[in-house]
Amino acid sequence: MRPLDGVRVLDFTHVLAGPFATRTLADMGADVVKVGTAERSGSNAPGTPYYLMWNRNKRSLALDVSTDGGRAICRRLCETADVVIDNFSAGVLDRWGVGYAATEAANPGVIYVQMSGMGGDGPWSKFVTYAPTIHALAGLTRLTGVPGREDIGLGFSYNDHQAGLHAAVAVLAALAARRRTGRGQRIDLSQFEVGVNLLGPALLDYFVNGRAVAPTGNKLPYDLAAPHGCFPCAGAASAEVADERWVAIACMTDAHWQGLRRAMGDPEWARAEAFSNVAGRAAAANELERRVAAWTRELSAEEVMARCQQEGAPAGIVQNGVDLAERDPELAHSDFLMEFADPHPTVGRTFADRLPIRFERTPCDRYERVRHIGEDNAAVLSDWLGMDADAVERGERDGTFR
Amino acid sequence: MADSAGPLSGVRIVDLTDERAIYGAKLLADLGADVVRLEPLEGDPLRRRGPHVEADGGGSLWHAFFASSRRFFAVDPRAAQGAAQLERLVNRADIVLACDGAFGVAEAGLSEALAHRPELVVVEVSSFGADGPWRSYLAPDLVAGALGGAVATTGDADTPPLKAFGELNFMVSGAYAAIAALAALHCARETGVGQRVHVSVHECIASCLEQVFMWYWYQHNIAVARGPVLERRGSRHWTNAYEVMAATNGSVMVTPAPDFDVQLAWLLEHGVGEALLDPALQAPENRSELIARMMEVLRKWVATQDAEAVFHAAQAKHLPYGLVSGVEEVADNPQLAAREWWAEYLGLSASEARGPGAPYHFGETPWALGHYGDIEADTAALLQEIGWEGTA
Repeated sequence: MRPLDGVRVLDFTHVLAGPFATRTLADMGADVVKVGTAERSGSNAPGTPYYLMWNRNKRSLALDVSTDGGRAICRRLCETADVVIDNFSAGVLDRWGVGYAATEAANPGVIYVQMSGMGGDGPWSKFVTYAPTIHALAGLTRLTGVPGREDIGLGFSYNDHQAGLHAAVAVLAALAARRRTGRGQRIDLSQFEVGVNLLGPALLDYFVNGRAVAPTGNKLPYDLAAPHGCFPCAGAASAEVADERWVAIACMTDAHWQGLRRAMGDPEWARAEAFSNVAGRAAAANELERRVAAWTRELSAEEVMARCQQEGAPAGIVQNGVDLAERDPELAHSDFLMEFADPHPTVGRTFADRLPIRFERTPCDRYERVRHIGEDNAAVLSDWLGMDADAVERGERDGTFR
Repeated sequence: MADSAGPLSGVRIVDLTDERAIYGAKLLADLGADVVRLEPLEGDPLRRRGPHVEADGGGSLWHAFFASSRRFFAVDPRAAQGAAQLERLVNRADIVLACDGAFGVAEAGLSEALAHRPELVVVEVSSFGADGPWRSYLAPDLVAGALGGAVATTGDADTPPLKAFGELNFMVSGAYAAIAALAALHCARETGVGQRVHVSVHECIASCLEQVFMWYWYQHNIAVARGPVLERRGSRHWTNAYEVMAATNGSVMVTPAPDFDVQLAWLLEHGVGEALLDPALQAPENRSELIARMMEVLRKWVATQDAEAVFHAAQAKHLPYGLVSGVEEVADNPQLAAREWWAEYLGLSASEARGPGAPYHFGETPWALGHYGDIEADTAALLQEIGWEGTA
């Protein structure tokens, strides 16, 4: 048994944000049927590495919604779904006859999630967005960086993940509401609003105090903490950025600083009265951090982390993908990364990072590789619509399920 | 407490979180659950997090955001009376959301509560899981982000690796904690089976890294990959097709994706980019070269353009440009205004405290900011609700 056993999700999403939402639901046992066609191209095409990352544990149905027959099947699927979710521009599902009004009329319990870039209405509702667009517009790009620069920002599509997680929260909350009221509902999720929400305290600061925060690098924008940053370590394999070694050290309290002093062997400079409290350390942060860096440069990141943590100072290796996959004892201990036993029909070996939630009594330990488009036609159409094998075969021959 | 109109109306939650999962408690509280946050008699240390209301030495805006829609219960759980009160609170909860080592967790008797009430859901968030080699490691947001893989992706070749602004690492673990709680609640209501659920902050961060594991596992299938690790490189996306560029009066996130032909036609309208018509560049196998050349043309062209004008002109052509905005521009954003998005954060000393509104809009059971508690009044009301006859 898994927590979401029996929940049927009809998944029209693509790229990252939407598929990440449905991946999360699928990992927890929901029957997620991803509707697709074999003709999609680009980085979202089935079998590309990007597609492989976000679509495990789902079943795949090939459906050509450009045909009357395909649209009729689409309507029937929507009528039996608990959740219908898309991240198309407004109006696409309406054109297929499965807009919210039509679907809700036939299936009052449906939870219908539209996770567009900008939301279902407003002057920017037709804007096209990807995560870098959202990061820029929401303030995340300008604020993640160093003073005087606007061209850094987050190094990956963070907001896509958050939009997906928020959509999963919304679906689960709507399931709780449906249990109480007997009715489903429409959920309008704007990925832009998810992104703006993430800056909460900074926006309150602006509206209440009139203060517009600027980027602070690795310093905290509002609270005193020092040292607080990333420090270079020994052991770079080459002069390439990807081979550099760094350690993060974050002394949030005086006790953390005392721990760092011990880890460094309590050098004389660290005993200065000015460094004994956080105000003094923050005021002299540049000098302080230069001295800490001189210490870290002589050691491996692993050694700095171990010494600091041993003495009660928060420190951690700045881990890249190789660190995470090959050297992280914690992820190895929890068996977080895995290879699918069942080879993908066109790609061969494929891999997954597991759901970071461990349910003690309903473990989510079933991982199915990403399916080829249409690989589950017969099973899905039988389970959801009671269609027999002959009908599925006819549909595959006439192009409806393709 | 009167039931809310939100989707989680009637769900009772005890909030024993710290920074690592307080965002999860916020998500559930703003959706209408009755969330009671435990607080030491001397006050929650998170009330000291900045920014604060400046005018009169007022309250923490950090706390007002992350502890929104909450009721607060002041208690000394190490005293017999406080422990008994906490036990009663837990005994009426559907969900307990806890971080290991946070205030009240050790005294809350969660194992006993789970044993006595099989339908109870207890979500336990820890930095590194309960039994791994790093279980005792200290990991504030920067360190958690470093070990989790996020920090290595961010920054430029001439900067150190950088932490994301604000609390973004712990907002991932917070969101996962909310998902864990609601999925387990769904299961408990369907089957009667409650349970303890574990969430590792480290794994949460590692699960939200877009290209990082893709690069490691599939580097040989990615045309632009030059090894198992993509170096930090400012705003340039892993596809090489998204990048922040300087305009005459600001910066714009520019991309010719997804429709390179539209972008090319637009450049040609402006008399630039003719070299991009080279038929050799149109061949699929030369896509990387086309992107590189087009970005080079765009850098020069955008440098001559007004930032806001080029952003709107691009969006009119369905090209996903984004204006690099600061807090002021976000606050004035016309889309947010048209959707009446901002919410009032009540209960602060400031006369006006506008802040972020709903991250999702429910058609029937609306998201709404609830009561931001008065700790004395909340504690008194809660003592009454749990049937406590004596003094607090």
